[in-house]
Amino acid sequence: MAIRVGEALRARAPAIRIRRSLARDEAFFGYVLLLPAAILIVVLVGVPFLNALWLSFHRKLLGAQDAPWIGLQNYLTLLSDATFWQAVRNTFVFTVGSIGAKVVIGLIIALVLNEAIPLRGLWRSITMLPYAMPTLVSVLVWKWMYNDVAGVFNYLVGHQVLWLGDPNIAMPAVIAVNVWRGFPFFVITFLAGLQTVPQELYDAAKVDGAGVWARFRHVSFPGILPIVAVTTLFSAILTFNDFSIIWILTQGGPGNATNVLATLTYKIAIPGLELGKGVAVSVLMLPILVLLILLLTRFVSRREELA
Amino acid sequence: MRYQTLALRGFGWLLLAIVLLMALFPPYFMTITAFHPPNLSFSRTPTLFSTDLTLKAFTDLFEKYPYAQWMANTVMVSVASTILSVTVATLAAYSLSRLRYPGRSMLSSSVFFVYLFPATLLFIPIFIVLNNLHMLNWLPSLIAVYLTFSVPFSVWLLKAYFLSIPRELEDASLVDGATRWQSLVLIVLPLATPGIAVACIYSFTLAWNEYLYAFTLLSDQENFTLATGLTKLIFGDVFLWGMIMAGGVLMSAPLLVLYFTAQRYIVSGLAAGAVKG
Repeated sequence: MAIRVGEALRARAPAIRIRRSLARDEAFFGYVLLLPAAILIVVLVGVPFLNALWLSFHRKLLGAQDAPWIGLQNYLTLLSDATFWQAVRNTFVFTVGSIGAKVVIGLIIALVLNEAIPLRGLWRSITMLPYAMPTLVSVLVWKWMYNDVAGVFNYLVGHQVLWLGDPNIAMPAVIAVNVWRGFPFFVITFLAGLQTVPQELYDAAKVDGAGVWARFRHVSFPGILPIVAVTTLFSAILTFNDFSIIWILTQGGPGNATNVLATLTYKIAIPGLELGKGVAVSVLMLPILVLLILLLTRFVSRREELA
Repeated sequence: MRYQTLALRGFGWLLLAIVLLMALFPPYFMTITAFHPPNLSFSRTPTLFSTDLTLKAFTDLFEKYPYAQWMANTVMVSVASTILSVTVATLAAYSLSRLRYPGRSMLSSSVFFVYLFPATLLFIPIFIVLNNLHMLNWLPSLIAVYLTFSVPFSVWLLKAYFLSIPRELEDASLVDGATRWQSLVLIVLPLATPGIAVACIYSFTLAWNEYLYAFTLLSDQENFTLATGLTKLIFGDVFLWGMIMAGGVLMSAPLLVLYFTAQRYIVSGLAAGAVKG
């Protein structure tokens, strides 16, 4: 008996050794395949990021060779600057306003398109249109429609409204453009989510006499809630950093009515020549951004574990 | 109950109709502005429909501005950054989704983190470094910079796709004596083609649309991409709406063709991203 066990162990030893060497090969191969991407990311993102942190503690001017250490001065000037706080407020209004509208529109349209309506494929393709157009082209078309002399909106309204020139209207006008180009993403992901809700649940709800609203409230909505969360967070992060829509429409104006942190960074750094202070603006955005990204990563990885 | 259901249905359809109209109007208006005689863009009554169509805005655009050059630059930058990023990302995504080694899950979540890292934070240090290296205003620099978002994005997208390919197929090939590399090239890659196609479409689109880096890193008109070239036209003294819209039509056309021929893949890619993570 004892001999048999010993023999069996000896027979298995090469197998274990092979498995161990396979695992080592696997790890080696894994690192090798990862290497090009890792090098690119370290050089192109990691190094500039550390450089940005370094810059934010220095008085670095565009064109100047030396950059004296000034400690927290860039941050302190910003924190006592009303323009900075207005940009913070504007960034939140822009992000929350855009995302709120996109979630509501996205949900309703996804629910309608999830029903067996005629020509559903065609309607879905048309909904995709704003998403398929280059962002920049959409922004230019909207700028043309908002034009105060020959714009189509003033023609429809019947009198002259300074859509992008009136401090009270500019922010909603800018949000409208963001919502227009971003809502299809919400429709598509929500639709994909709705399609994973089992039909039996709807049937059961119907048998129990649930109407459209009750079925949404108790079946569809809980079913797609995780996707709503992921889509919202994802879009919030991108909206929070958006530069091009606001820059092209208003350049942050009129006054500072639509100046967000992204446009403020640019204005301070390039036309204002204060590179270090500009970087400090975006470093101050980081805590919120990191929080949003961590939340999103947690949601996404939890879904991965379930899958 | 019945009334409530009907009312909600009616409301939903009405809203769908409004949203469809709103989705269609701007592209329609862009097209009509691009094709009508340029003097009409200064009229107080906008031309919503016209049979008086001309290519004047398009010919002006090519004659007065290096639009063809901008288009060539954009194609070059987008294609090059797509090929580079998807190649690198395919290898990395395979590694992160299939092979086991210490630190994998940490590396995997950091990729996602990097994708969401804002260009507004990176453009200033990148600008300074390229300035010191005398590499500003040079298209290959822009290609490299575009990898900052297209590599992590493609890795993230492809990783989700690789995870959806059954592992058994690959294990079978390994048992039959294939090397890891052979099983990647011969088994996994062919199955991942749709995912790779989606990653290509997205990388291409991201580069095609990119504005902030192109705007800050390129200064000579001959080096502009479409995004920076077209926006330059609105910051001039005269608004050349006919030409801007003509440029918009030409800039949108390739993406629209791409999206509507590959719509099925794109929707599944988005769904994979959001649904499967």
